[in-house]
Amino acid sequence: MPETIDLARIEPILQRFGKERGALIPVLQEVQGIYGYLPKEALVRVSEAMKTPLSRIYGVVTFYAQFYLTPRGRHTVRVCRGTACHVRGGRSVLNVVKDSLDIEDGETTKDLQFSLETVACLGTCFLAPVMMVDRSYYGKLIPERVPSILEKFGQGGSRG
Amino acid sequence: MGKLSSPADLEQCRDSLLRAIDPDRTRVRICMTGCRAYGAEEIRDAFSSEVARRGLESKVEIRETGCHGFCARAPVIAIDPSGIFYQQLTPADVPEIVSETIERQKIIERLTYPDPLTDKRIAQTKKIPFYEGQIQNVLKNCGTIDPRSIDQYIANGGYAALAKALHSMNPDEVVEEVKKSGLRGRGGAGFSTGMKWSFARSALGDTKYIICNADEGDPGAFMDRAVLEGDPHSVMEGMLIAAYAIGASAGYVYVRAEYPIAVEHLLIAVEQATNLGLLGPNILGSDFSFDLKIKEGAGAFVCGEETALMASIEGRRGTPRPRPPFPAQAGLWGKPTNINNVETYANVPSIILKGAPWYASMGTESSKGTKIFSLAGKINNTGLVEVPMGTTVREVIYKVGGGIPNNRPFKAVQMGGPSGGCVPAKHLELPIDYGSLESVGAIMGSGGMVVMDTKTCMVDIARFFLSFTQDESCGKCVPCRIGTKRMWEILTRITKGEGREDDIELLQEMGQMIKDASLCGLGQTSPNPVLSTIRHFRNEYDAHILDKHCPAGVCEALTYAPCENTCPCRVDAVGYVSAIAAGRYEEALALTRLNMPLAGVLGRVCNHPCESMCKRGDVDEPIAICSLKRFISDREMKRNKMPPPVFLEKIKQERVAVVGAGPAGLSAAYHLGRRGYQVTIYESLPVAGGMLRVGIPDFRLPAAVVEYDVGFVKQHNVEIQLNKTLGKDFTVEGLLKQGCKAVFLALGAHANQKLNIPGEDAEGVIPGIVYLRKVNLGEQVGRGQKVAVLGGGNVAIDAARTALRLGAKKVTILYRRTKDEMPALPEEIEEAEDEGIHIDYLVAPTRIVTQDGHVKRLECMRMELGDYDESGRRRPVPIKGSEFVVDVDTLIPAIGYMPDLSSLPSNDGFAAGSGNTLQADRVTLATRVPGVFAGGDLVTGPSMVVEAMAQGYRGAVSIDRYLKGKDLYKDRAYQPVLRIDIPKIEMEGELTAAAALRARMPQLGKKRRVRDFGEVNKGFTEKEAMREARRCLRCDLERKGE
Repeated sequence: MPETIDLARIEPILQRFGKERGALIPVLQEVQGIYGYLPKEALVRVSEAMKTPLSRIYGVVTFYAQFYLTPRGRHTVRVCRGTACHVRGGRSVLNVVKDSLDIEDGETTKDLQFSLETVACLGTCFLAPVMMVDRSYYGKLIPERVPSILEKFGQGGSRG
Repeated sequence: MGKLSSPADLEQCRDSLLRAIDPDRTRVRICMTGCRAYGAEEIRDAFSSEVARRGLESKVEIRETGCHGFCARAPVIAIDPSGIFYQQLTPADVPEIVSETIERQKIIERLTYPDPLTDKRIAQTKKIPFYEGQIQNVLKNCGTIDPRSIDQYIANGGYAALAKALHSMNPDEVVEEVKKSGLRGRGGAGFSTGMKWSFARSALGDTKYIICNADEGDPGAFMDRAVLEGDPHSVMEGMLIAAYAIGASAGYVYVRAEYPIAVEHLLIAVEQATNLGLLGPNILGSDFSFDLKIKEGAGAFVCGEETALMASIEGRRGTPRPRPPFPAQAGLWGKPTNINNVETYANVPSIILKGAPWYASMGTESSKGTKIFSLAGKINNTGLVEVPMGTTVREVIYKVGGGIPNNRPFKAVQMGGPSGGCVPAKHLELPIDYGSLESVGAIMGSGGMVVMDTKTCMVDIARFFLSFTQDESCGKCVPCRIGTKRMWEILTRITKGEGREDDIELLQEMGQMIKDASLCGLGQTSPNPVLSTIRHFRNEYDAHILDKHCPAGVCEALTYAPCENTCPCRVDAVGYVSAIAAGRYEEALALTRLNMPLAGVLGRVCNHPCESMCKRGDVDEPIAICSLKRFISDREMKRNKMPPPVFLEKIKQERVAVVGAGPAGLSAAYHLGRRGYQVTIYESLPVAGGMLRVGIPDFRLPAAVVEYDVGFVKQHNVEIQLNKTLGKDFTVEGLLKQGCKAVFLALGAHANQKLNIPGEDAEGVIPGIVYLRKVNLGEQVGRGQKVAVLGGGNVAIDAARTALRLGAKKVTILYRRTKDEMPALPEEIEEAEDEGIHIDYLVAPTRIVTQDGHVKRLECMRMELGDYDESGRRRPVPIKGSEFVVDVDTLIPAIGYMPDLSSLPSNDGFAAGSGNTLQADRVTLATRVPGVFAGGDLVTGPSMVVEAMAQGYRGAVSIDRYLKGKDLYKDRAYQPVLRIDIPKIEMEGELTAAAALRARMPQLGKKRRVRDFGEVNKGFTEKEAMREARRCLRCDLERKGE
């Protein structure tokens, strides 16, 4: 899926941070905010501008769970796998999400509608078991409720 | 408002803010952080529009606050100045709140908090036990002020501590004050905060940094999130004071990216503080200058480790490095750096303001102040609580936390997340502080408490934490990267039923190695959850490895369905319930009898542990599994269609003797007979059935039902010889000599426990089991008019109800504890009370007064509940001066019973265990005499019928192996004979709703039932049974679908 990356869009970011120490992670966060992921072309440009080897940037990008090197779905489903969710049945919720979207943890649906992530703990243990779709929380889930929640955000995935 | 350039400016500012507050104005505080997920925004909007519609804007302030702590009741609001607390609101409730409560001062009862303990509604925040048990020091502003308003923070006393530190204390004094307060780091390790500051203060260098570690990542902990979202200025004020103390002029808050509201509120707070001159140059007119930056994390748990966190701020991969040097010497960019956690900083302002002695007055010797805990998991009041250090686990979980949902037993609380361990039920009285938690193998950690009940598998939890640390391991050092992976693999195979016998030792050895050799805290502590669960729940590991059984019914590979998994006899409840749902009653009964031959009996008197684990119980009420079993048995009995026997193996000539025709003996005989052996049961009573026949009255279990089920057992090559007493009519040795190849001893527990008070031998005093036995055998017992029963078990209740049916005018049960501790089945207690039996709780007898050798009066004392004993129940203690007297003509002590070992002398090779039981191997039930096995109450002490039958089953399997020359221990894991496959049948019409509640057992009327011994429970009709069976969620199918 070739796509043209408009590198001009990140110039203001690079200028604003300039040579600030330790700015690499915030810069990457903002660049990802523009494209939804970190295209290679953009990383090359960041490397030039910040005079940081691409290999080091790649190391940082692959270290942190929140940086993505491939395009993301329009919506991000984050299923909590924290202790409180685990003891309250979070595993079944995750299984139903995987089944409904027909993707595994870390994958994106073919129609680029959803990306699925698991999160160590969303810090909303009182909602357990809980998942987030974009910035909305869905708590005290039972597996049966999951498909209808996902449907609100688009096609229910490739399986029925 | 301009910049505040002196403490006086700040005070003036505060005064004018306070003056501007209209004391008569109603304030509605809405939690807009945690409650947002429950629709708090819609509720706020509803308030705004309703207040505007009624033109009340000048009279009502709608304040958006942080977390109120009581997340279980979200969304919540509090109304000032009346102090009213409303919970679980919807926008539709808002107009009524405005018109009734705000305008007319009327409390809307249905929105107030229902106390589950008293069933009363509580309107006042302060009176709710959840809040009553807390001391809110760090959380005082959370839920009170709008976290986006620096004005409200200042009006509530904010930044006064900073002003005091800057203008009346020098940095050394600040450090000293914090040292004296005893504050220890709230992030987990609990190092003295004052000491840490003094290191950074004395470090050489012009540039120093302050960092707030807000990378809260322990699963189950969310206090830092709440503090940052609800009171960000308190953290910043603490940081400013720390910066002044150590001589830093710049700082960072490193906050987890998963907390967007926290980031938003922090950024607002920084901007506001900068505008007022509370950040920036020459703060409050002093020489002290400070800049604060907010850094968002990018999703790496290990960045909570301080050296990794600094690497991340520097823009690198967040991998830890060895210490020393510690951050106080060489931290961020090599400069001296002080790192504390959110809650630690938030504690600082009040210490400076109120002084170290005030702070140190709270808590224990080694741990001072208050601590925030996040309660989650299987607990009623999930949320955030702040209590003084030293509060006991029980107080936190039961008083503040409201206990466990559905009153299920507490199993353990996991503390300290992936670095911590669990505190099991036997340590409920533990005062929580750093040292005490370590002593039981847990840690304070950040204060996350995840409560676990009987439905939580400890092996699965250990595996869960290992998969977490394994995922989050940065990979830099080998022990952590590879060690956690190997441990995870071992745990995985255990949960799959492929565990090996030395796996536990292997886990312990590897765990120790990883602890010793890992680079950072993440690795060093990663084995803790495994080591701690092994320490406290080794039996659960053994069950997985040896019995291939997950007692909690969690591990998928080992669990067919929770009901089947929980049944001691492994009766396929989900199978027979699904067969009933399909109208296939004969198959249902046949399936039951594969494992357990007394369907009519257990359909009536089983304590049904299966129902307590039923998943439907989490939705509304569990399936009435026990009563459904009765339905299929009754149906067969009425139609007189007992099926012919089914043998699993060809008929053999080998003879086996069983001593005792109670549930354990009958079960053993049945399972041996079905395997083709020739079985003879020797029974000393004139009837078969043991306690089932003579210990339970007819109104609960008719003799005809016992006889019918015994008849079913007898079909399987089982002969019963009555009136044959061991030791008198025959001996174990004799049986073996006469050609029996093996013997199963199931003598039960028929000896009475003595009261040990004067007068016990008087006429009219008759032990409960003797009384019931006589009545059941048609023998004469005195027809007492004034009967008192002592005890709280099923025997006590049965005896009381029997006395009532024999014509007693007044029957009283005296029990030394309270109803909550009563071991009898709750439905039995209820029925007894319905019938007019008075139960007097917290009473103990002291003396029996006689007249002419006959019992006349009972002297008693009132008791109160004292400390908790080993069993987790509170010990009854006599109240001085509370003596009183009860007039009685019949006294029935039923305080306990035990086996009688007089016929099993030790010189025959038998050994006694605790409680006068007979010793037998836990797994095989073999006694020390070759070929002789023993089980049931004789071995376990008084227990449940279904447990005794499971023992009989186990004994039969052992005897079969023994006679076939097989190893008695190896590969004993339970294997079902067959499974049936019936599709789920949905309930029809209105019954499809989730609200289709459990069927109620039809009963005889209260007055009718006490006239004679007719059975009280009438049993389900076919229609009721089928409807009830269709409520089943069919957990077995969920598993098959995987």
